[in-house]
Amino acid sequence: MKRSRFPFLVTGAVLIFFWLPILVLIIQSFNAARFGGAWQGFSFKWYARLFHEPAIWEAARNTLLIALVVTLVSLVLGTTSALALHRFAKSRLQRFHYTLIYTPLVVPEILMGISLLMAFVAAGLRLGMITIVLAHVTFCISYVALVVLGRLQDFDFTIVEAARDLGANGWTAARRILLPMLAPGLAAAGLIAFTLSVDDFVITFFVAGPGATTLPIRVYSMIKHGATPLINALSTLLLLVTFGTVFLSQRLSKSGAMEGGI
Amino acid sequence: MTHTSLRRLVIGAGIAVIALGAAACGGSKAQPVLHIYTWADYVKPDLVARFEAENGCTVVIDTFDSNEAMYAKLKAGASGYDLITPTSYMVSLMQSQGMLQPLNRDWLPNLIHIDSDYLAISLDPKMDHSVPYMMTNTGIAYLKSKVADFKPSWGMFDRTDLKGRTVMLNDMRETIGAALKFLGYSLNSTNPEELNKAKDVVLRWRANLAKFENEQYKTGIASGEFLLVHGYSGDILQVQGENADIVFAMPQEGGVISCDDLVIAKTASEVKLAHAFINFVHDPKVAAENTEFIQYLCPNKDAYPLLSEAIRTNPGIFLAPELRAKCEVLADLGAANALYVKIWDEIKAGK
Repeated sequence: MKRSRFPFLVTGAVLIFFWLPILVLIIQSFNAARFGGAWQGFSFKWYARLFHEPAIWEAARNTLLIALVVTLVSLVLGTTSALALHRFAKSRLQRFHYTLIYTPLVVPEILMGISLLMAFVAAGLRLGMITIVLAHVTFCISYVALVVLGRLQDFDFTIVEAARDLGANGWTAARRILLPMLAPGLAAAGLIAFTLSVDDFVITFFVAGPGATTLPIRVYSMIKHGATPLINALSTLLLLVTFGTVFLSQRLSKSGAMEGGI
Repeated sequence: MTHTSLRRLVIGAGIAVIALGAAACGGSKAQPVLHIYTWADYVKPDLVARFEAENGCTVVIDTFDSNEAMYAKLKAGASGYDLITPTSYMVSLMQSQGMLQPLNRDWLPNLIHIDSDYLAISLDPKMDHSVPYMMTNTGIAYLKSKVADFKPSWGMFDRTDLKGRTVMLNDMRETIGAALKFLGYSLNSTNPEELNKAKDVVLRWRANLAKFENEQYKTGIASGEFLLVHGYSGDILQVQGENADIVFAMPQEGGVISCDDLVIAKTASEVKLAHAFINFVHDPKVAAENTEFIQYLCPNKDAYPLLSEAIRTNPGIFLAPELRAKCEVLADLGAANALYVKIWDEIKAGK
C-alpha cells in the first residue's frame, strides 16, 4: 500500500507559511540596500550600525529586564492559581476564578491598554517600568495558569499522596515531588510569558512611562524614518536569542525531568 | 527542578526586581531630568549630549509612532513627559483640550531666529504655545530618465503619456489639497464651489493614476514601477539613496508644508529645562547641525546660510522663499471636514 503524501505536503506548506517571511527578513538584514526592493550585495553594515545605536540597546535592556521579572512573577501567580483551579474545580468560586483568568485572553489589547493606563493614573502610580511589569503580568498569568492547568489535568496525584504517606509534609511534597514533575509545563509556560512580554506593543505603549521605552515601541517609531534594515538586523539577533533560549530550556527541562523522575 | 535550582531561581528573581527598581529610579537623583517624547532619531545625539553638559542635566528620550496614539495616551492621563513634538494639526487639538502650557518668551531669546515667512502660514504664528521644529513638504517625485519635459506643476498628473504609471497619496486632505492649489485656491478651502471644482480635477487625474497609495509608492518609484508620484519629501529623500534617477520637485503652485512643533505638556515638571531645550535647538548653529542630521528643515532663518550646499539645493528639504510663501499648512477644519470626506468618497467611487 502506498502511503498518502498528503500529510507530508501539508507539513511542508505549513512550514513554508511559517518560515518563509522570517527567512526573507534574515536575508534582507544582510542586504546593503536601504529599501528591501533590490539586492545590492551582501553586507554586515546594518549590524555594524546597530552597535552605534545606544537608544536601541537601552530599549533592548528594558525589554529583557521587564520580560524576566514578568516571567518569574507570572509563573508564581499563574501556577498557584492553576493549582487552586484544579483542586477546587467544582466550587462556584473557582468557576468564577476561571472566568477571570480567561478574560484577558479575549479582551482586545487596546481596551486593556487604555483601561490599565486609566487605572494606574487613578491609583496615582508613576508610569514607568513597574507599570509595564504590572500590565504584562495581568495577561501573562492567564497563559501560565492555562498551560499549567493542562499539565495538572493528567497529573497523577497519587505520588504526592505516597510522599505524604512516607512522611513528607505538604511543603516538602510540593517542592520535591510536585514542582519537579511540573517542571516541563512550567518551562513552557515561562517561555510563553517571556515571549508575550517581549513582543507586546499595544498595551506597553499605553502604560509605558518616561524612560521606559521598550524594543517594540522603539521599532515602531523607527519605521517613520525608514531605517528598516536596522530593524531586520535587530530581529535576526532577537531570533538567535529566542532560539538559544528555547534550545537551552528544552535541554534543561529534559535533564530536570530525568532528575525528578528518578 | 532540584532544591538548589529553585533557590537559585528565587535569588535570581530577587536580583531582577532590585535591578528593575534601580532602573526605575534612574540612578542619578542629583541631576534634573528632562523627559522628551518624540519620534525616533529626531534629534542629533551629539547635540543632546552637548545640551546635557551645558545644563548639568540628563535628557531621557522616549518615542511614539503616531500623533493619534500619543494623543490617546496623554488624554487618558499619562504624564511625566516635559517636551513633546507633535505635528501642527495635533498641536491645535492638544491646545484646544488644555493639554499644553503657554510658553515663557523671556526664556526663549533664540526665537528671533525663526523664519517669519514660515510663521506667517503656521497655525500658531505668535508662538504662544508651540515653536516650529522640523518641516517637510509634499510634492512630486519622478524618474528623470523616463519622464520627458517635466514641469514642476500639479498639472503633471494630467499627462496621458504617463497613464497607469503615476500614484497619488491616499489622503483626502493631501490629494484634494493638490487640486485646490492647482486651481489657485487655498488648500484649507471650505468653499463648496471651489471644492467641487477640485473634485472634478482629481477625477480627471484619477483616470491617469495607477492608484491612490501611501506606502508602497516609495519602493514603486525606486524600482521603476511608477514614473511619477505624489509624496512626502522625507520619504523621497530616503529612496533617492537607492535610485539616483529620482528627482523631487515642489510644484510652482505650492503645496503642503507639514511641521512638527515643540510644545511643553501641561503636566511637565521641568518647565524651565524644557524652555532651555527649545532655545538650544533654535541656536542657528545647532539648528543647522540638526537639519543636516535629520534631513528635515528647521525653520530657523539664521541657520539657512550655515547649511551645506547639498541641503540648500535640495527642493525636498529647502524651498526658495517665493515658493515657500505659496505653500500652506493643513489646518484642522472642524465641521467642514465632512465636506472633504463626502467629496473624497465620491472621488474614490469614481462619480
